[in-house]
Amino acid sequence: MATAVDPAWDMEPTCVTAVRGRAERRKMPAYSARKTIDVADALAKFFDTKKPGAAVSGVNRMGGGASKEQFAFALTEGGVSERYVLRMDPLEAITETDRKREFEIMNAVQGLIPAPKPLWMDEDGAIFGRPACIMSFVGGVTKPSDAGLKVSGLGTSLGARLRGQLRDQFMDYLVKLHGLDWRAAALPSFAAPTADPQQPARWSLNYWKQLWKLDGIEPIPIISYAEQWLTDNMPDCHELVMTHCDFRTGNYLFDEATGRITAVLDWEMARIGDFHEDLGWVLMQIFGSFEDGVFRASDLFEREEFIKTYEAKSGRTVNRATLHYFDVMSSWKCYIITAANGMSAARHQHNHQDVLLTFLAAANALFANDLCRLLSSGADA
Amino acid sequence: MIPSIDDRLASVVRALTDIILPALPPEAGLAIEQSQLAIGHLQIIVAQLAAAPAHEQEEADDARALASALLAKGEGGAQTRTALATLKGAVAVEDSARDDRVAIHGAIDALVRATSVDGAAVFRAALGTIIVAHQTPRTIKDRAWFAPMGFDAGH
Repeated sequence: MATAVDPAWDMEPTCVTAVRGRAERRKMPAYSARKTIDVADALAKFFDTKKPGAAVSGVNRMGGGASKEQFAFALTEGGVSERYVLRMDPLEAITETDRKREFEIMNAVQGLIPAPKPLWMDEDGAIFGRPACIMSFVGGVTKPSDAGLKVSGLGTSLGARLRGQLRDQFMDYLVKLHGLDWRAAALPSFAAPTADPQQPARWSLNYWKQLWKLDGIEPIPIISYAEQWLTDNMPDCHELVMTHCDFRTGNYLFDEATGRITAVLDWEMARIGDFHEDLGWVLMQIFGSFEDGVFRASDLFEREEFIKTYEAKSGRTVNRATLHYFDVMSSWKCYIITAANGMSAARHQHNHQDVLLTFLAAANALFANDLCRLLSSGADA
Repeated sequence: MIPSIDDRLASVVRALTDIILPALPPEAGLAIEQSQLAIGHLQIIVAQLAAAPAHEQEEADDARALASALLAKGEGGAQTRTALATLKGAVAVEDSARDDRVAIHGAIDALVRATSVDGAAVFRAALGTIIVAHQTPRTIKDRAWFAPMGFDAGH
């Protein structure tokens, strides 16, 4: 006999597991950043069974990012050496996601979109202590070498040359992702929101609502109202596509000399949903730049230019009311990520870079103000 | 007297900047990154320290003003009336500025939820307008407060 689903938990099953797992880990003691020597030992143990005879060397912590612990290393077998990246969960992070899903989607886009190739997993953290994924190392940078210190790639200025070289690739890969035949892909950890046309928005909304309920430090009226508005105005989705959910400058690598994108990164929030959700995220002001008062999304496209180019390249029509809904949801999600998830992880000392998380929390004023602008101006905001 | 908090924090920043950061080996990427963030964060805290109590008092005053505007218009069924009474009670209490703000915002959150259940149609229609009208200047002040963090340049 089927059991009724609690409406508040109507979300993708792996998201239910992720949120409940975060709640269960809440009472655990403080987390310490992993020591390189310990990671090297764990890698050696891991490859003892996966690749007997292979030698691990050159283990180095990687900089950048605000979410996972990452180490680069070399694996030498039969005189041939290859570089890889170990990506593993801290106890809690600024996002609550599943390494297995990330593994599956990175595998599914191989040959379609440049992305690190996922190769091995420690799904339950039996060797590494926390769930971990090992993927191929891809060269490139997330920002120009003269861009200065930018936290998590936010506000990166690419400059005219790179902008010209990167923008078509950026758009092409977004369109290709939305064209991925997810029904035919091997994505056993993904589920599709097919119960009704509002379920794609509802799954996303409920997931973030539950994270806010779990991690919210204190209520703020505009967030309370935004949640109510999002609940009351869920749009119908007419086409389910694979979305990245964190597609922006700062989350792809490029070759600085040629301007070629070498890898799209940070697939952890990918889900089957409404393409407008990705568009709303790309168009977030915090991920873009302002020059002479003109906004450029990801420092690549002006807003209307981005929408029209997406329509021309994808053949889809952007519904402005639906896009407005996901503009609002994007700012609301970003508020939860920075003010709740990041701050809660830092408050409980469950992350390896608490100082970064508390620094990022200062961005919440921008998201709250974005919500005021968006909720007062309607779809023209 | 207690030693100046400004001077003590400034000395921590100087130790991190002049002694600790230069001593880190180039391969200690996370330590370098976190030291730079700690320095930046502390410099901003030093700059904000004296103004923080006034900022928090202003936040509490703004929360009270929003609550008053909602109480003036609020009407509805049993849940909404209960939430309005709770909000009225939260406004009446005077504790620390931070506690006042948290209590009032908590009561507003409960009111928003109650209004969606049985708020009068006219109040449901007005609720968002009132909240946005009050939160817009508040969030602009908060953006200015956090402008030194660098997320907001040019917006």
